[in-house]
Amino acid sequence: MEVEVAGVEGPPLKASFDELLAAPPGDDAAAPTATLVRASAAYESRDDRFLLKSKDYDRQYAQLYYYRLQQMRGAVEAAARRAWPGVPVVRILSVPEEGEVAVVGTLYKEMKLKPSILDEYVKDRALSAQLGRARFTQPEDRLVLEDEGARLTLCGDALPVGQCVTGVVAAVRGRVQPNGDFEVAEVTSAGLPPQPPLPAVGEDKYVALVSGLGVGDGESSPLRLQLLLDYLGGLLAGDAERQGVVGRIARVVVAGGLLKSSSALSQPTAYASVRQQAAAVGPIRDADMSLAELAAAVPVDVMPGAGDPANYTLPQQPLHRCLLPGAAAYSSLNRVPNPHDFSVDGVAFLGTAGQNVDDVFRYSDIEDRAAILGALLRWRHLAPTAPDTLAAYPYFDSDPFILDACPHVLFAGGQPAFETALVEGGGGPGEQGGKRAVRVVAVPNFCTTGCVVLVNLATLACHPVYFDAELQG
Amino acid sequence: MNPAAGSKRPAPGEGQYVPRKRPAAEDDDMMEEDFDLEPPEDEFDEGPDMEVDEGALGEAGKNWPRPAAPQLNPASNALVFQQLEVDYAMQAPHPTYYPTDLREVPVVRMYGVTEGGSSVAAFVHGFEPYFYVEAPSPSFSPDDCQALAAELNAHLSGKDRTKNARQCLRVELARKQTMMHYQPQKDRLFLKVVLAGPNLVAPCRSLFEGGLSLKWLNGQWFRSTTYESNVLYALRFMIDCGVVGGNWVELPPGSYSLVQPQSKQTHCQLEAHLHYSKLVSHPAEGAWAKMAPFRILSVDIECQGRKGHFPEPDKDPVIQIASLVTEFGKTTPTVRNIMTLKSCAPISGAEVMSFEDEKDLLLRWRDLVLETDPDIIIGYNIVNFDLPYLLNRADTLKIPQFWTWGRMRNRRCKMKDARFSSKAYGTHDFKEIAIEGRVQFDLLQAIQRDHKLSSYSLNSVSAHFLGEQKEDVHHSDISKLQDGNAESRRRLAIYCLKDAYLPQRLVDKLMLMYNYVEMARVTGVPMSYLLARGQSIKVFSQILRKSRTKGLVVPNMKRGGDAGEGVAYEGATVLEPKAGYYDKPVATLDFASLYPSIMMAHNLCYTTLLPKGQEKMFPKEHLTFTPNNDVFVKPSLATGVLPEILQELLTARKRAKKDMAAATDPFLQAVYNGRQLALKVSANSVYGFTGATVGALPCLEISSSVTSFGREMIMETRRRVQERYCKANGYSHDAEVVYGDTDSVMVYFGVDDVATAMQLGLEAAEEVSKAFIKPIKLEFEKVYNPYLLISKKRYAGLLWTKPEKWDKIDTKGIETVRRDNCLLVRNVVTTCLEKILVERNPGDACEYVKGVISDLLMNKLDLSLLVISKGLTQDADEYENKAAHVELAKKMKKRDPATAPAVGDRVPYVIIKAAKGAKAYEKAEDPIYALRNNLPIDCQHYLEHHLEKPLMRLFEPIMKNPRDLLTGAHTRSIMVTTPSAASGGIMKFAQKRLTCLGCKAPLGKGEATVCKHCKDKEGEIYQRSLLGVNDLEAQFSALWTQCQRCQGSLHQDVLCASRDCPIFYRRMKVQKELGEAQATLQRFDEW
Repeated sequence: MEVEVAGVEGPPLKASFDELLAAPPGDDAAAPTATLVRASAAYESRDDRFLLKSKDYDRQYAQLYYYRLQQMRGAVEAAARRAWPGVPVVRILSVPEEGEVAVVGTLYKEMKLKPSILDEYVKDRALSAQLGRARFTQPEDRLVLEDEGARLTLCGDALPVGQCVTGVVAAVRGRVQPNGDFEVAEVTSAGLPPQPPLPAVGEDKYVALVSGLGVGDGESSPLRLQLLLDYLGGLLAGDAERQGVVGRIARVVVAGGLLKSSSALSQPTAYASVRQQAAAVGPIRDADMSLAELAAAVPVDVMPGAGDPANYTLPQQPLHRCLLPGAAAYSSLNRVPNPHDFSVDGVAFLGTAGQNVDDVFRYSDIEDRAAILGALLRWRHLAPTAPDTLAAYPYFDSDPFILDACPHVLFAGGQPAFETALVEGGGGPGEQGGKRAVRVVAVPNFCTTGCVVLVNLATLACHPVYFDAELQG
Repeated sequence: MNPAAGSKRPAPGEGQYVPRKRPAAEDDDMMEEDFDLEPPEDEFDEGPDMEVDEGALGEAGKNWPRPAAPQLNPASNALVFQQLEVDYAMQAPHPTYYPTDLREVPVVRMYGVTEGGSSVAAFVHGFEPYFYVEAPSPSFSPDDCQALAAELNAHLSGKDRTKNARQCLRVELARKQTMMHYQPQKDRLFLKVVLAGPNLVAPCRSLFEGGLSLKWLNGQWFRSTTYESNVLYALRFMIDCGVVGGNWVELPPGSYSLVQPQSKQTHCQLEAHLHYSKLVSHPAEGAWAKMAPFRILSVDIECQGRKGHFPEPDKDPVIQIASLVTEFGKTTPTVRNIMTLKSCAPISGAEVMSFEDEKDLLLRWRDLVLETDPDIIIGYNIVNFDLPYLLNRADTLKIPQFWTWGRMRNRRCKMKDARFSSKAYGTHDFKEIAIEGRVQFDLLQAIQRDHKLSSYSLNSVSAHFLGEQKEDVHHSDISKLQDGNAESRRRLAIYCLKDAYLPQRLVDKLMLMYNYVEMARVTGVPMSYLLARGQSIKVFSQILRKSRTKGLVVPNMKRGGDAGEGVAYEGATVLEPKAGYYDKPVATLDFASLYPSIMMAHNLCYTTLLPKGQEKMFPKEHLTFTPNNDVFVKPSLATGVLPEILQELLTARKRAKKDMAAATDPFLQAVYNGRQLALKVSANSVYGFTGATVGALPCLEISSSVTSFGREMIMETRRRVQERYCKANGYSHDAEVVYGDTDSVMVYFGVDDVATAMQLGLEAAEEVSKAFIKPIKLEFEKVYNPYLLISKKRYAGLLWTKPEKWDKIDTKGIETVRRDNCLLVRNVVTTCLEKILVERNPGDACEYVKGVISDLLMNKLDLSLLVISKGLTQDADEYENKAAHVELAKKMKKRDPATAPAVGDRVPYVIIKAAKGAKAYEKAEDPIYALRNNLPIDCQHYLEHHLEKPLMRLFEPIMKNPRDLLTGAHTRSIMVTTPSAASGGIMKFAQKRLTCLGCKAPLGKGEATVCKHCKDKEGEIYQRSLLGVNDLEAQFSALWTQCQRCQGSLHQDVLCASRDCPIFYRRMKVQKELGEAQATLQRFDEW
């Protein structure tokens, strides 16, 4: 049975401090509150591919790219044949001097502003000027296409350089110029991968996505965090309808950012001295307490993010048990990796703490975070810029970031503001599988926006709920 | 400026054929004073073996041939071209242009390119070699001349291989004057001895120098100095025809004949004959300053060496040759070709030719050279490696026809060993290869000459100038790639093409073609002389040209005695520095072009020098007595040739500078900049030329007078400045000259702000200039504020040229760019200077130094900072002394002959801890080996031998007790890595037991990470380990992706083994440390 996918459900909920703490109208303050009956949902983790049992660094990154190209070539070639029927698809080494062809390969973007570790050694280049930048694109950026054999410099006005990033496996159609460059008429990528049907959940059930709690950050209000915990825990009784919503929250996913992350730039090129790595123990203790409180009320998935005490490269491994001695005692606390792949009542979720989206933002001209998430789906890759500008583990016989299947919800934490969109695709002639629809969600940092996003499993609709900790009156 | 200034020092310029080390840290712009002796005039052997049948050429590749030449009618069209190379050959005389009874005569050949891009060879006939001698008596008659010619013929016939009937064509009378010494009378009778061939000049010269008896004059003994007998024939021709290197020449209509294609002697498109008197040479000015679109071939070869050996041409094959042909002025190459041995997958944008037989490969490449017909062949180290290797390889393979690269058909190139020795450039052995009609331009030589870099590997040169690192594939990896498949060979081919492209890009970036053509035009020598010969030929060429216009002839002086035993004379003065840290502005007053202006001001020249004792014969007011007690006449009696040349050079330089300022096009600006630099270098060379005792025309009276005047002027400047700028004259402070060097004086006016100091400096320069004869001029250029004066030739300061903002940190003698210093020293010194001078915070600098020293002792420094490298110049076993890098090379050879450094490689090493009493050379270790085996670094050694001295020097003027830097509390905690079991020694017997990560207590059973006492802090301890891992992970990712970017491929493993790259060791270190840190982290297992 087809499930109708809804948009943003109703006006955004605004939960203000005074309102939430006010006594329920008409109720006696001393009267016992009704026990919260929490909706339960079937949960399945598919994180295996992101978990690393042992790590081996005695290798390079070439294998990862190689595997990615091998793995994705079929899908991209198929997309190219669908898009450009009759145009032969060839390897770079056999591009003819005459005639139009399509070539499949990994894109590489040459950027002057791309920070390099070599800059440390060049005195006169102002490193700080670069580090201060939010984005590294400029009009002179160039794209090259590379396959196992060779590289091809791409040119032409039809080439959307700003919309592409390094590491995407794509197909280009065009012809070679006398100087050896390839003039591109059109670019296509693999498109949305096949999607399992959206199960019929039948009733409203919610998964709460929250990110960037920012514990230990002097600026954000601990009050607001407490409010959130109380709200999710169902301790803020009162408004019946709201009570209804809270009770329908089957699961909370913390998409990274337990602790305040220090820098906006997740790829440091400077070599942080061990001396500067003073272990910050205080904030993680506080975070432990908050999580324990939350886990006592509702099943919680905790993903590590950029500033959290987990490893640096993607995939980030689950936070270690010894860091969360209190919360880890609850079986409802689920320490998960980043990216995190799971399903709730059969609705497939895939998400990251946001580093992948931030990195694409820095190295492309795509403004919209939701649009970046959409692009990731069409590229069929969760983190194309890894390992070039986004640190990643040097996989050699797999690339776990390839999207083999299309999730129903794709989210990214740590974003500057809430954004959502419904990405649709597929179902074209000659394509396997039916139409796909994915709810993409940019989950903002709670500590700066006070926003938590509720995703309705039944309709894939999103409710942002804002907590306002300003005391009024 | 002189290296050992202020003391007695040997005269500049001796040392021909004596290898000598360059003095360290000389970076003055007056270095050009040093000279080499011309290689003895060696007319090439013209043996029959030079003839070889080159056979038929293969089919030309894509874009190989030049565009077709236009049809010219010699009767009505002029043939105009820019000549790049001039040489000559002995040939049968041309019946039209040089009718004579001789069998073989010299024919000048000029090669060049027309504006339309057609290659031209012009055969210029009828120019006869000659030189002068003084006539034995003023009454020497034309009859005597004939008799002398007959006499000379009798002597020379045995020394002539040409089978000509006559050797001395004639002797002519000429009225000339000698260049040497002031001569009151205008001219004297000279004899011009005209010979049949250039190789007769030397024997004939020795006849006159040895003396001969004139039979028809009753056996009168005739012995004479010869004049202009040491001028190379081609240069002689250029001087007499007014041709300068790289200028445009014209064969006017009706004066020349064109050769039909079937009977051409050369591969040039146009071949013409004419008489030398008809040749028109255009000075390189106005419209004739342009450049022809000449073709530049950039080459790189790859060879397959055997395990552990550097490739040798008698054993190892050439496997790839990359060739790029670029038309001058175009940004992209016309031809991109790669020839490979065995198959190679195609490369987009390049023409790939694969061969199964190496002979075919080489011969096809020969065809490429002949068909693309380049005017200039460039490459990196081609003169000493690529080109000789190819030629020697062809000999091994027995394909003599391979040697025909030149423009003359069926003629072999010539190759011989040569040695170039110059005080300015050091001594280099090299192969001299003569490729007729094509100029060789080795980027390595050019960059070694023009730039002082810490390393001259192509990698570091391109990093320095192009701002990018180059992938460096070790020669052992090259063999592996070659033995792989078509794909791996393609990989190698791309690498090879890149190596051929880099020299071209360097040429473009550094404007080398412009600069060298300009230099050839300014000095008048062919371009090929500029790299292959020293400075003196350039000055000599200018002197010859000037003296010719004045009827002067240059004597061939007997070369000054023993190398290295030049007459010592006093060098330039250095005023004793008042060392210290000056917190207030110090103004610098410079003499502009000091030595040239002294020569001009005092009219110092060969032609104005009075021989000792003659000064009484002239009235005093016409004479200049130099501080050195030499006497020169004033311009009132005669103006010197040298001052005139200098005047012209400096005027031309002013014009070029003006043009440069006026030009808006950055391209054109660089051209004028090249010209003004060439002019400056030339002007400064003149002084050195006079002091080169083994040069063409040494005259120590001139050079020592110049330095003595310079000394006097510095003293005079000090006196005047200090006299004038004092409190007694109403100034706020007494000015003080804190330091003075060859041509500059540093004045401490005592004022606080830069603007006032500039004002005073400007005023003082003007005031003091008045005391000196024009054109000597004291200029005010810059202010240092603050200024750190350490000792003679060592200072640093923040340089200001305008009062608003400082320009840069200027240092002399401090920042050691020499690469036998490790990067650590350079970094520390640079950072300290920044902190002291810019931030004016010496305290912060001290803290920084302490931090670095602490890091060093705690073993926290990046290993690449500690790597020292030295070149292995000969086989390790041949060294007599035990040097660290040599011993290490031997050690490495034992470990793995395949990757051990070979001759010519640089050996990088670190100093490791060794047993007590170990010799320094035993402590060197391969950085990679040290990394892999956890060998502890000898921090103390780095502290004492590398950091201490520069730091003491730097901090002495600032701190009371600079030794505190090296001894304080920060040096107490020392961490030494434990050697791993793999490294052998006692560690093999050690039993490993896990210790608590928190307190290092041995762990009991069942405990994997922390002991029970530390259990509470487990999270904290975990976080600490984690942070270390994170940092390493970030580095790992940044380093390896950078290497991928550099090598230009994502899908292939990084092969680069460039030890010049700053991140090479770091990459290895991170990989290793990450593995270890990860293992520790893994101990926090999930339970």
